[in-house]
Amino acid sequence: MPLILPTAALLVVLTRPDAGKTPPQESSQQAEPSDKTTKKKDTPKEKKPREEYPSFRLDDHPSIHFGKGTHLDFRARFAADHADSEASTADPVEASSIDLGKKRLGVSGEIRNAVEFQIEAELTDTDPWRDVYGEFKYFDVARVRGGKFKIPFSLDENTGASRLDFMFRSLAATHLAPGRDQGVMVHGRVLKKLIGYEAGIFQHDGKNARTNNPAKVFGGRTQAARVTVEPLRHVKNAVGDLSVGVALTRSDDLPEGISGLRGQTVLEQNFFTGNNYIVNGSRRRLGIEMQFRPGPASIKSEWMRVETDRRGESVEDTDLSPIVGEGWYVSGTVAITGEKKAAVDRPKKPLFQGGVGAIEVGARVESLRFSSGSSGETPSRGPRADTIVGNRDQATTFGVNWYINRFFKIQANFIREKLDDPSQGPLPSKASFTTKAIRFQFSL
Amino acid sequence: MRIRPGFVAAAAVAITFACGRPALAQSAAELFDQNTIQEIRLSVNSRDLRTLRANTQLNTYYTADLQWKNVKVRNVGIRSRGQGSRNPVKPGLRVDMARYTTGQTFVGLSTIILDNIWQDDSLIRERLAFTIFEMMGQPAPRESYCRLFINNEYFGLYTITEEIDADFAKRVTGETDGTIFEYHWFADRQWHAEDLGDIANYKVLLEPRTHTLDADSTLYGPIQQMFKEVNSPDDAVWRSRVEQYIDLNQLMTHIAIEQYLADNDGFLGAQGMNNFYLYRFKDTQRHRLFVWDRDQSFLFPPDSPIATTDGNVLFRRAMAYPDLRETYLKALEECARLSAADNFLSLEIDRLAAVIFEAAAADTKKQWAADPTRFDMAVDFLRDFAARRPAQVLAAVDRIRKTGS
Repeated sequence: MPLILPTAALLVVLTRPDAGKTPPQESSQQAEPSDKTTKKKDTPKEKKPREEYPSFRLDDHPSIHFGKGTHLDFRARFAADHADSEASTADPVEASSIDLGKKRLGVSGEIRNAVEFQIEAELTDTDPWRDVYGEFKYFDVARVRGGKFKIPFSLDENTGASRLDFMFRSLAATHLAPGRDQGVMVHGRVLKKLIGYEAGIFQHDGKNARTNNPAKVFGGRTQAARVTVEPLRHVKNAVGDLSVGVALTRSDDLPEGISGLRGQTVLEQNFFTGNNYIVNGSRRRLGIEMQFRPGPASIKSEWMRVETDRRGESVEDTDLSPIVGEGWYVSGTVAITGEKKAAVDRPKKPLFQGGVGAIEVGARVESLRFSSGSSGETPSRGPRADTIVGNRDQATTFGVNWYINRFFKIQANFIREKLDDPSQGPLPSKASFTTKAIRFQFSL
Repeated sequence: MRIRPGFVAAAAVAITFACGRPALAQSAAELFDQNTIQEIRLSVNSRDLRTLRANTQLNTYYTADLQWKNVKVRNVGIRSRGQGSRNPVKPGLRVDMARYTTGQTFVGLSTIILDNIWQDDSLIRERLAFTIFEMMGQPAPRESYCRLFINNEYFGLYTITEEIDADFAKRVTGETDGTIFEYHWFADRQWHAEDLGDIANYKVLLEPRTHTLDADSTLYGPIQQMFKEVNSPDDAVWRSRVEQYIDLNQLMTHIAIEQYLADNDGFLGAQGMNNFYLYRFKDTQRHRLFVWDRDQSFLFPPDSPIATTDGNVLFRRAMAYPDLRETYLKALEECARLSAADNFLSLEIDRLAAVIFEAAAADTKKQWAADPTRFDMAVDFLRDFAARRPAQVLAAVDRIRKTGS
């Protein structure tokens, strides 16, 4: 609640007619294909007066420029959620409450156009550090990044939290993609930027595969690679904004223990109680992604699969079939106020500036399933069962996004989930349940 | 000769049925056949087995596959069990078929006990005791012997013992919905049927094995009330009130059998009550006892005394009623008569000793494996007990009737 007042004050300041008049591009996200349709401005070039340093600007973010190509940007994101779900937890207060947990502050910047860096922290998290990395970007075809950042796997997972089409990332990205870890990565675009690539080595296989339970294990050194292609990049209209990609990771040295991967509903309630299956060996991920953004509409889809070995874990010390997590989603959005998808978060006519902001509607269907490679025997919850008792969550989300201006966004989602085996879920006697949620977001 | 088509068809059908008949399913009756030694094989991940043996005091379950004859049950749960018999060399095991696979059974049983017979150097005391209980009309768990192999290593001679659960209760009472409590003995909570007051004190000692989700007041209210009445000072109403909660005749018979068997670890155990299950009949507040774990039977010599009073409040006060006292003495006489008839007990000792002899000799993990004479000496002790106990008990009963003690 203490954030409400400063947030309201900022709302007043930032919705003044002169605030954010020239919405610039957000700094590049390696996961998001560049949006060439919004880069060019038709306005004729004007001779800029000689700039004095240091200077303060409000571009993408509030920033201090110390010289040409050297600047320090300030970042912040605050979000308040309210969710009301049929699949509430036992404590009704928790089931329907304002969540002010998403409070992030950070800085990013560049040094002489050759080094880029970012430091971001979650203010209330026990593990506060999010992105903490530096990047040598002198050569576009081969940038080198080191530190803690997201492993290059999954379009949805690598989309910034403030730019998500729905309040919650897809189930597959949330639970199967690795997330952040410490490592080194080379990435760039080649063949006239037709192909983008990312390849890196990381200490472990990401935060998403970890829990606070010390009995649960996660992958050791992880190799990851992702390739995206923009096959219609040469097409000079909105149809050209098509990107397809494939990604894979391999984590070795997964110690013997209970897998840290979770099967959870949208509101993070367990639906795969086979959390006690013992794993050992390596973990492999494969993902395929597609994004198409013709004008104000977008279609996005991913499929991903995670296999975790169970070497020597049978009752006879032989290998068991791997635990398999598989998920997919297809989502679509359209900005009914006409903004192009890539710039919908910078509305043409913000509220109080002659318009209502940008309004976007969307829908997503998705699935997340856990099973084992074997199906030859009666499924069992035994930690060493070859055929496990799996489960699947299928979710459909309808959403409305209201971009009041480039800083404020309100999202409302209606989510319908259905479990194959409700006995493992939050409502053991009910397979389907709905969740209504709303988010107020301020990002700087 | 002309063969009629109808005959051919009938023959074809008969042959089809004969050839296509499935293999004869194994049954619980076969598993508990006392005339042979079964062979049970468990497959356990080697790391799990090491952990289990290193932590036998814990009740942690591990996954295993169980094989008996042509029956294989996958993904059963096994855990260490027992009290004084827990040890890493020859662990006693509880095998729960449905621990990880809902509804899974083994020849119709959801659980079996693989008893390591650790504290019985004769290896047959419990089986003999259960036999006497059964002959006296008191239901006892079914039990047979087995060679247990874990990961193809011979772990010794075990008994396969039926667990006292809902299936057992249905078999022996015909009821499907009674409430079973397992009594847990604690060294620091030795109980002689005193009024323990708060329900929480009963909850520690008596674990529900059915109706586990019932409220504490439903589960323990009648037990709390029973021991309140057992300890009430009013002798005039004691009998009628206590009998609302427990079958006193059954109780006296149960204790009499224990006394006949010179058992030191039963209802009148030297360190408080032990080794019984309490069963509450369906839709009533009335209970009875089921016998459990008799490896401390035949512990004392055949001329050991018969109790006529005890620190146990329930037994002591029940003995004050002539008809209950007579029930007790008659049960003792019946035990003596049955075990002496046609030399039954002696012959049963010889028969069981012969059945297990080879498996016992090969059991290098049993507690006294280093001293091969212990088995013979223990069996000889039992033979002497069987020969002399009936006369000793009959004489003691006669004396009690005449002198009161």
